[in-house]
Amino acid sequence: MKESQIMLIQYLTGVLILVLGALHFLAISALAPTKDKVLYHYGTTGVHNLTNGTLYYYNVKKIYTSLAWGSVFELLLTFLVFHIFNGFRIILSEQFPGGRSEKIITYAMLIAALVVFVWGTRTIVLMLYGGGV
Amino acid sequence: MQEVALKGFGEVVKTVTLRIRRYDPESGEPPKYVEYKVPVQMGMTVLDGILYVKEHLDHTVSARYSCRMGICGSCGMIINGRERLACQTQILELGKDLVKIDPMGNYGTVKDLVPDLTKLFRNHESVKPYVIRDEEEPKGEYLQTPEQRESYAMFTDCIMCGLCLSACPTNATDELYLGPQALAQAFRYISDNRDLGLNERLNVLDSKHGVWRCHFSGACSDVCPKGVDPALGIQLLRQLLTSNVFVKFEQKGAPKGPDRKSVTGVS
Repeated sequence: MKESQIMLIQYLTGVLILVLGALHFLAISALAPTKDKVLYHYGTTGVHNLTNGTLYYYNVKKIYTSLAWGSVFELLLTFLVFHIFNGFRIILSEQFPGGRSEKIITYAMLIAALVVFVWGTRTIVLMLYGGGV
Repeated sequence: MQEVALKGFGEVVKTVTLRIRRYDPESGEPPKYVEYKVPVQMGMTVLDGILYVKEHLDHTVSARYSCRMGICGSCGMIINGRERLACQTQILELGKDLVKIDPMGNYGTVKDLVPDLTKLFRNHESVKPYVIRDEEEPKGEYLQTPEQRESYAMFTDCIMCGLCLSACPTNATDELYLGPQALAQAFRYISDNRDLGLNERLNVLDSKHGVWRCHFSGACSDVCPKGVDPALGIQLLRQLLTSNVFVKFEQKGAPKGPDRKSVTGVS
């Protein structure tokens, strides 16, 4: 793959992360259910007033049970993983230039990206179908 | 040291200390700074100051220079922390009593203020800085309008002094990075309507240490003594390479003018 193609994907994923990140923020704030206050108890009044209960695990978890939101999060995860680990690859390649070191860096980032992607996907799938992690 | 007025150059305005970085890799000794007191007259440049040191105080100080008028690009160095041509920088304009002089950064040092410019020339050569055509031998001139020349004219002013590469932060860590000088020159030739060499340059430009490694700090454009804007050239190259992902950029090549023989009578 040419560097221009990789960088184009890097820029596009950057923009998409902004869009999906905003959606994610909406999901856990404005769109999240606020009436289920099962975890609202004495001692969390301040937090409750601040978030209106949307950030309680129980409420957040509810969003993940929707397939549509699950897909959005999976896409966000994909874009994030590419953007972050390609970014790391670039930074490290600049710090340690050279054929051998760059090869090591590329493969290391590829493996790390795969691990994070699989782990993130597992979390999303478990939330969707397993009721939690 | 006694102040000495150079005859014919006017009076000494004040005495300034030149703190010059001395380093001889062959000696095995670490770099050190040595101070020299120099009588300064109106219009005296840093290069004049260094030459005064060489002539009167310490003839072992080494610096590279040639034209003394900002054209050859030989006397690039870091003066008071900023990349400049020593022949273009007047000591009094610096407004300091102490002038610190270092060799350009991101290069090796041959001796004292003489940088090893191998990297600069190697990178420059790698982007094939000449008009590439498909003919074996041109039969006539290639036509170009003033507007077409204007599209790259600024980049032809590069004198290859290497100051941009010295100021470039990417070059400080990535020694394989092509650098602003070579990339700006690549843009200069690619945007020349007589050129057909984009594809031959793509391998180098679109590589891991090519055009995409620029962080757009703009230091190269900031220090260029000829007003060239390498950062702009790099961004335009990126634009070209990005659009090239979707639609292959085609260089048509300038139309040929009349055969040389029909105009001059000489083949």
